[in-house]
Amino acid sequence: MSVELISANHAAALGATLAGRANRTARGFCSGVYPITPTTECMEYLCGQEIEKGKVVRVDSEHSAMGVCIGASSAGARSFTATSSNGLAYMLENCVAAASYRLPIVMAVSNRTLGPPWNIWADHGDSLLLRDLGWLQFYCADNQEVFDTVLCAFKLAEDPRVLMPAISCMDGFILSHTMAQVEIPGQKLVDRFLPTTKVPHRLNKSAHTLGQLEIPQQAVAHRTQHHQAMLAAVQVYAEIQDSFEEIFGRRVADPVVAYHADDADTLIVSMGTIGTTAERVVDQLREQGQRVGSIRVRMFRPMPENDLRKYFAGTKRIAVLDRNISLGYGGVLWGEIRGFSDPDAIVQGYMVGVAGGDVRREHIINLLTDLQQCKTESAPKIVEVA
Amino acid sequence: MNQKKSKPLQNKASVNAQLPGDISLPLEIRLHGRGGQGGVTCAKLIAAVYAEMGLHVQTFGDYGAERSGAPVRAFTRVNKIVIKNRNKVYRPHHLLVLDTALLGTRILDGIAPGAVILLNSSGRLEEFSEKFADYRLGIIDATGIAREHGIGTSSVVIINTTIVGAYAKLLGLSIEVLKDAYTRLGLSEDMAAAREAYLNVLIQQPDTAVTGTAVGGELVTAFPQVKQQIDHSDDVPTKLQTGDWSTQLAGFKDHLAPCNYSCPAGNDVVGFIQALKTYGSDRAMEILLQTQPLPSVCGRVCPAPCMHECNRKLMDGAVNIRGLERWISDHSELVLKRKKAGKTHSFAVIGGGPAGLSAAYQLALHGHHVTIFEKEKKLGGVLRYGIPSFRLPEEVLERDIIRILSLGIRSTCAHPIDKVEMERLYEEHDGVIICKGFSDTNTLSVAGEDLDGIEQGLTFLSRRRTDKKATELSGDVVVIGGGNTAIDCARSALRSGASSVKLIYRRSRAEMTAIEEEIEDALREGVQLLPLRQPVAFRGVGRIAGIVLAEVELGEADIDGRRRPLVTKQMTELNCSKVLLALGQENKLEMLPDHWQISDARGWLEEKTLNVWCAGDCSTADGTVSHAIGSGRLTALNALANVDGTEPLVDEISENSVVAPAHIRFSHFPVLAPHQDRHKTVDNYQNNFDEVNLGLSGKEEAERCFSCGRCTRCDTCLVFCPEGVIYRTAGGYRVDENYCKGCGVCVAECPRRAMELNDKESREE
Repeated sequence: MSVELISANHAAALGATLAGRANRTARGFCSGVYPITPTTECMEYLCGQEIEKGKVVRVDSEHSAMGVCIGASSAGARSFTATSSNGLAYMLENCVAAASYRLPIVMAVSNRTLGPPWNIWADHGDSLLLRDLGWLQFYCADNQEVFDTVLCAFKLAEDPRVLMPAISCMDGFILSHTMAQVEIPGQKLVDRFLPTTKVPHRLNKSAHTLGQLEIPQQAVAHRTQHHQAMLAAVQVYAEIQDSFEEIFGRRVADPVVAYHADDADTLIVSMGTIGTTAERVVDQLREQGQRVGSIRVRMFRPMPENDLRKYFAGTKRIAVLDRNISLGYGGVLWGEIRGFSDPDAIVQGYMVGVAGGDVRREHIINLLTDLQQCKTESAPKIVEVA
Repeated sequence: MNQKKSKPLQNKASVNAQLPGDISLPLEIRLHGRGGQGGVTCAKLIAAVYAEMGLHVQTFGDYGAERSGAPVRAFTRVNKIVIKNRNKVYRPHHLLVLDTALLGTRILDGIAPGAVILLNSSGRLEEFSEKFADYRLGIIDATGIAREHGIGTSSVVIINTTIVGAYAKLLGLSIEVLKDAYTRLGLSEDMAAAREAYLNVLIQQPDTAVTGTAVGGELVTAFPQVKQQIDHSDDVPTKLQTGDWSTQLAGFKDHLAPCNYSCPAGNDVVGFIQALKTYGSDRAMEILLQTQPLPSVCGRVCPAPCMHECNRKLMDGAVNIRGLERWISDHSELVLKRKKAGKTHSFAVIGGGPAGLSAAYQLALHGHHVTIFEKEKKLGGVLRYGIPSFRLPEEVLERDIIRILSLGIRSTCAHPIDKVEMERLYEEHDGVIICKGFSDTNTLSVAGEDLDGIEQGLTFLSRRRTDKKATELSGDVVVIGGGNTAIDCARSALRSGASSVKLIYRRSRAEMTAIEEEIEDALREGVQLLPLRQPVAFRGVGRIAGIVLAEVELGEADIDGRRRPLVTKQMTELNCSKVLLALGQENKLEMLPDHWQISDARGWLEEKTLNVWCAGDCSTADGTVSHAIGSGRLTALNALANVDGTEPLVDEISENSVVAPAHIRFSHFPVLAPHQDRHKTVDNYQNNFDEVNLGLSGKEEAERCFSCGRCTRCDTCLVFCPEGVIYRTAGGYRVDENYCKGCGVCVAECPRRAMELNDKESREE
């Protein structure tokens, strides 16, 4: 175990490197990569690593990058890629395939606003494009979490009860380019945590087809299996947390990170780095005697519904902060979780920090003031971040 | 619920051991610099230093600016516990400014009195002490130190590792802490610079007596209230004037092409080639004739320094400029109209060679009366009597001379000028310009030089033009020299019946001053070159029979860059029946009346200036037609200004404005080999004095001109502008200042350096 001062992009790449090396006694590691701001550092770092029985393929596009990952994973290799924004959009068609092939590919996404108009800053709209495709999704809040989540994502994705791709998200620049200390375990510990990759349906000596034509009944059966595996991932993740703690001596963050939530009458719900700002607001308002708490949704797919229902029980006012906008509806997170609260609770949606605004404590305090004044729930509001 | 524990990091010294008392945690640091200075890495380095002390750190850049030189911010936070704050730093405790030109923008926002400010400046403490009295101020010339230590490149000095040394001293941190951090980051090599900054930083403690004058002051930020979604539709900042972000603005500016810069005649080379390309030969001729009265001549015999300097030379071969000049002169009948002078003056020009013709031409063009006095029977000087007709046919020379004379210039030929005549001309005219050219030819001063059959090359060439019979040769001919006259003599001798022609030159072929193409022509025609040989004696009884040659080695380079010949004792003998000497000429002004003197090309009588000027070889001794033309023109214009009592012509050119190969985007131009002059193939040169070089077959060569430094409206800037804020106008293009972010992409992409980036700071102040 060593402590390194590295950026979150590099932390993700380092996680993938250690995971890749851990598969050296099996089918190795293979990754297709293509650069895009703000993920470029991640793929650059990966390209610079020596991985025994590993290959990082620099391709012509994100679509091809995922193509390489699909090929590698269906041949039984451990596979990883990283992208952002429109790169992810371009990759999307192969992302659908990767999920439906049930391939345990892991991807790091530095969240960035989808263009045009061009904007390189943080917005969750890009990774949310994958919401309904059958990818596991995590949103991280600090460098350590990015590193840990990549390792856990491999273990979760490759679990025979789950077996599907996973993404680990970090807010572009705010996290991707921030350097901080990260505890890095040695290879031996990672080997213990991550057994070799086993893709049971991998292409082998006997010929078979992946993703062939299906009649409606077959398709429904496969979708159902995928859905059930996704739901099962919540419990599998809990087991992984235990295993992680046993091997690395510290516990990886929960699917839902709660902060002073148990006795709160008002909750701030968010994803990504806004969650840590919310926690600082909680500290500030708690000092003033207000019973405020924060809920950070770290695991977005599968949605940890039970955890959220538990924290929402008895809470009267909930502000849901979305760094995204589902046009014609409102924030995606708000739309997903508003049904989990008590029937008489006000669950107000706020879209804040959309397209990269620097969300500060004052912004959140302003929207909490607005929430206290709400008599009923109203249409989601956009919070201007100057 | 699982809170992340903020336990101390492992293997670290205890926090307080190394932390000076006046650093309190949590600590926030903001850094301002310019892209390329290493600002983000500097913030990282500072973070690494605190991390070495076992503290939690966080560091990040503020990204968005897309180019080196653009203002950049970077942040570092330090605390004893895990840092949750993910916002930018709005109220820094420490502020580092890597470029003081940035001061004055909003970089002091949020700085409270007592804060630490470190400036990278070569200035003195006093320059800043009043403005920053409320702060603990440090000044360090990090750029100077880093440059001395060779960190970065000479143009882009990277100062991050240096300035951190000053930062440590300002904070009272130990240099040992830096050492560990630098070693860990692999920057040990830069420790010497950091140490120098540590020792040399100038520090001023905050003046506690001063209050309320903090330049940074309180940061006032209004946080907008939460509104309904629908309310925002009106709030969209439709006019986000991105031009406000920039410190620089792109603009269009002509730069000097190397061909124009190097043309001794002062021709607008780019101008006439582009005019030929776009409009045809008459428009090109119109530009050419402004400075060049003899385009048909120079299009054939100019050594073309423009082609040596042509930026295209480094890509696929220089543009055949001489060929294009010839093509224009052979395809245009255009004559410029004589301008009307405010007050008409009369001038006498002595000498009808290229300098005299050029001076007379400019004077006549400006509407003045000119008479040329020529000692030979016809005008032309060296052009007529010194250059053989296979290079410059008589009718071609006539064509240029007729055009010149058509401006109303009178000429008096066969009229040598002596001292008496000189004084008469001076009395009768408002000004006299002497363009008599070279006079005496150089000799070798070796034994036997007076033997029959040894002749000055220029005399031979002159006789050849006037009396072909008398110059018929036979047997083995030797020409001595390495310039154009030597080549002309050799080729003429070949055509005059010589059974062999050998060219003796004391240096190597690379040092020969003759036009390269002419040397090649001579060799092709059968002239033998014997370089590195020096004649030491002529042998024969009454008549030349042979030459004794010493072999030569090349020594150190002379002042002119050519290697000095060193004569050895190794001798050989060469039989010959005729020797032509082409060893250059001297210039003397034997026609000057007593007491007249020439200084700086101007006539003086004791302390008084005379309206007498010298131009061409008799003044400058440059020895080429184009130099003579340039000298004639400038002298004429200068004389006019003098006579009119106006400001003399000033021709100041900055080397910096000349377009260098590095300015050219070669990738914008397709590779295209130069169009070569066509040559007539002749089986036997005997008595054949027809022009050999037939020139270009068309004007396509003009397409190859890069148009260095001059906009061709190629639209590259408009196409590459990421903001789409360059617009076509009647005269060229316009950059919208309100939206130009100063990214410099257009300037970088301009294939020909017709643009530049200008600082906006001076305009704002």
